[in-house]
Amino acid sequence: MAHYFEFNNVSYSKNNEHILTNVSFSIPRQGDTVAILGPSGIGKTTILKCISGVRKIDQGTIQLKNKILHDSHTYIDPEQRNIALSFQDNALFPHYTVEENIRFGIQKSLFCSKNKNGPLKYSMEDLLELFFVPELKNKYPHEISTGQAQRVGLVRSIIHNPDLLLLDEPFANLDQNLKDKAQKNLKEILKSTGITTILVTHDKYEAFYLSDYCGILLQGGIVQFDSPYNIHHIPNSKEVVEFFNRGVLIPVEVVSDDTLFNKDLGEIKGKLVKKYEKGEQVNLLIQPEDLEHDDSSTLKFEVIDKKFRGTNLIYTLQTPSALQLPVFVHSHHEHLHAEQEKFGIKQPIFIDHLVCF
Amino acid sequence: MMHTFKINYWFLSSLFISCFVCIPLIVIGISLFQDVSGYYQLLGETYVYTYIANTLLVLTGVLVLTFIFGVGAAYLTSFYQFPGSTFFTWALILSFAVPSYIYAYSLTAFFGYFGNLYSFLNYLFGPSDYHTLIPKVDGLLGSILSMSFSLFIYVYLITRASFIYQSQNLVDAGKIMGFSNYQTFKKIIFPSARPGIVVGLSLVAMESISDFGTVSFFNIQTLTTAIYDSWIIFDDIATAYQLSFFLIVIVLIFFWLERMSRSRSKFYMPTRGYEAINKIQLQGTSAAYATTFCLLLFTCSFLFPISQILLWVIQFPDNIHLAQLIELSVNTVSIVILTTLCLIVLAFFTNYGMRISKSKFLNAVTNFSVSGYVIPGVILAVTLLSFLSFVSKLANSNWIHFLFSGSIIGLVIAYCVRFYSLAINGIKSGYEKLNTNLDDASYLLGYTKFGTFIKIHLPFLQPNLLLIAMLVAIDILKELPITLILRPFNFETFATQAYTFASQDMLEHAAGPSLFLIIFSAIFILLSKKYILKGF
Repeated sequence: MAHYFEFNNVSYSKNNEHILTNVSFSIPRQGDTVAILGPSGIGKTTILKCISGVRKIDQGTIQLKNKILHDSHTYIDPEQRNIALSFQDNALFPHYTVEENIRFGIQKSLFCSKNKNGPLKYSMEDLLELFFVPELKNKYPHEISTGQAQRVGLVRSIIHNPDLLLLDEPFANLDQNLKDKAQKNLKEILKSTGITTILVTHDKYEAFYLSDYCGILLQGGIVQFDSPYNIHHIPNSKEVVEFFNRGVLIPVEVVSDDTLFNKDLGEIKGKLVKKYEKGEQVNLLIQPEDLEHDDSSTLKFEVIDKKFRGTNLIYTLQTPSALQLPVFVHSHHEHLHAEQEKFGIKQPIFIDHLVCF
Repeated sequence: MMHTFKINYWFLSSLFISCFVCIPLIVIGISLFQDVSGYYQLLGETYVYTYIANTLLVLTGVLVLTFIFGVGAAYLTSFYQFPGSTFFTWALILSFAVPSYIYAYSLTAFFGYFGNLYSFLNYLFGPSDYHTLIPKVDGLLGSILSMSFSLFIYVYLITRASFIYQSQNLVDAGKIMGFSNYQTFKKIIFPSARPGIVVGLSLVAMESISDFGTVSFFNIQTLTTAIYDSWIIFDDIATAYQLSFFLIVIVLIFFWLERMSRSRSKFYMPTRGYEAINKIQLQGTSAAYATTFCLLLFTCSFLFPISQILLWVIQFPDNIHLAQLIELSVNTVSIVILTTLCLIVLAFFTNYGMRISKSKFLNAVTNFSVSGYVIPGVILAVTLLSFLSFVSKLANSNWIHFLFSGSIIGLVIAYCVRFYSLAINGIKSGYEKLNTNLDDASYLLGYTKFGTFIKIHLPFLQPNLLLIAMLVAIDILKELPITLILRPFNFETFATQAYTFASQDMLEHAAGPSLFLIIFSAIFILLSKKYILKGF
């Protein structure tokens, strides 16, 4: 059976510059949330604009609910697509109040073709409340902050109860505390209304929290499309590892199906994600949570840096062959290790997924 | 590309105007290769250098004075508070209502032989021969003064805009670096306002070079009067074109200067963190100097001409004919409304087209069509007429000529070419503030392109529309040569009526139409002063 939404081999260029080249992904079921993660300037926003129809693609197919929106023969105007987009720079109409902005297009008028799915179960007041901007109804866009305007834009796009909701960095301008609350409410709204959503962000925690699937968009298209868990633990390429910038790659030799060997760390056990020949030289991904601290261990390395993250500490250790390993420690760990001190690693080393390249 | 090809209808409007802008340039270009008449050769040997010299003399004088008036007033009202500063900020723009040729009439009335000054002195000190004491303010000096007082407003407005858009942060940064007030002005404020000042002066230059009414009233032979005379009096088109060539060359230099400065001035526009300038309160003598400067400027540029004209109206009430004034009002207002409507529709069409199609070619065509404002009215009118007769000869039918020449249609077309840039840029500056994302947002909320235009663009651009309508109205009210040459037989506006009386040495009769012209313009200025003060 065809997927609810498909984005197939889409290419887009502007002023002869290729912005998207053969990008594909799909949303299997209605009600799913997909996050597109990627560095700045890679074309995440462009994907949303192509889906919504405000940018015309050069080639490929975009299909929603078994209906072609855009291919080489068909192009459906944005106003006919029943897709909502919440812009990163909010795009509120400056000469209308917040309320007028939100109501804009809800009522079907002479010039407007929208509102096919009937009203949403949330009212405008509910939504404004859930995004912590209930008092703004009569204000004009220039009277409110960027973060507030962005949430008003979000309300405006959700309230249409669209077939597909596109969110472009919806909480980019919020402080962490408000962001957490707003994300929680957004998730609840999306789940209870069953609105299918594509979210674009460079904040991986936002992506992991809100989405059912994540797509990693790098140079060369969507390089990995998987569940948040797999994206985090089993990245499928060096590029994805580099994008998250969370672990290091160390040289190891394959000893057997479940054992690797590094001359500084010794034997490393676990489940190899891919099959390798015995004796093959590969690079193993070490993420901060992979190595465990043990003060009584004989395997000790020098601490060269430590980062206090509130709930945890990340130590960077230097091995004799100058590898730098990140190790994650709960911040209530009874004693701190100063720089240049020795730091023990629990042996034997066991890592659930051995991700090698 | 998967784009389906559609004809750009908005494209045509720009193309249409562009063609008309081309006509004068093409006609003049071709004429350069044609044989010149004996008259021109005579002229070339004798007068043409005088014409150019006079044009340049007037230009230099006007530039110096408008610089002093405009920058001085802008500096004082933007950075300081002194008695009357708020009043002068807007009151000075009233001088925009007085065209320089009407200023010239009032100068003559005051300083002329047995003029008002003479009567005044007579009244005060008893009859005597005061003529030797009263300075002669006519000829070159008169032309320069008249133009300076009526044109300095361009420099004032644009300089003021570039002053007030400067952030207090810049000034503070200067202070922190240890600059004195004078150094701050010299090193920070003035340099960043310089492009604006150059734009203002270039506009003044173009206006002053193409001025016809003032120099013709004072009998100064410049290129414009020479063109007019060769066309109207000597019926010598070839000479008119040859002279036009010189005029266009001078104008284009300033046009180029203006363009360069406009693009440079973009670098100086504030973005984030803009903080309005804190005005400094002036005390004592410095406050008195500032107030005197502005008061003198206001008096000379507005109170003086309008009081002269009022004096006439009171002295010679018999010259005011109600029926005539009503007819003039109807004529003027109807031509203003017609032209403004045409211009706004055309300008909207093109701007909207550029916004949607994002076509570079359309952009280029529009940029070219906008240059219509550099073509002096005299040349525009003359070339348009001869082009029409050429086309009707070619088509071997007279109806084209009938339809366009000496008709309202022809007049409106000429105005449209002349004032197209005003309308285009007015709407464009509004559109530039309207992010294209908003269009996308509107489409995604279910609105069609037309719906977006009606619900988003039109209400948003309302202030711009008002401003354009007002500025076009003021310009047409004051416009002289185009109307004079292209108007239908017996069709008079305030401007042509005043000019006709004045050129027949019946200045008192010109008072009525002049007064009404100024009153109408002043009303339009006051209606839109909020927007005018932000700069063009």
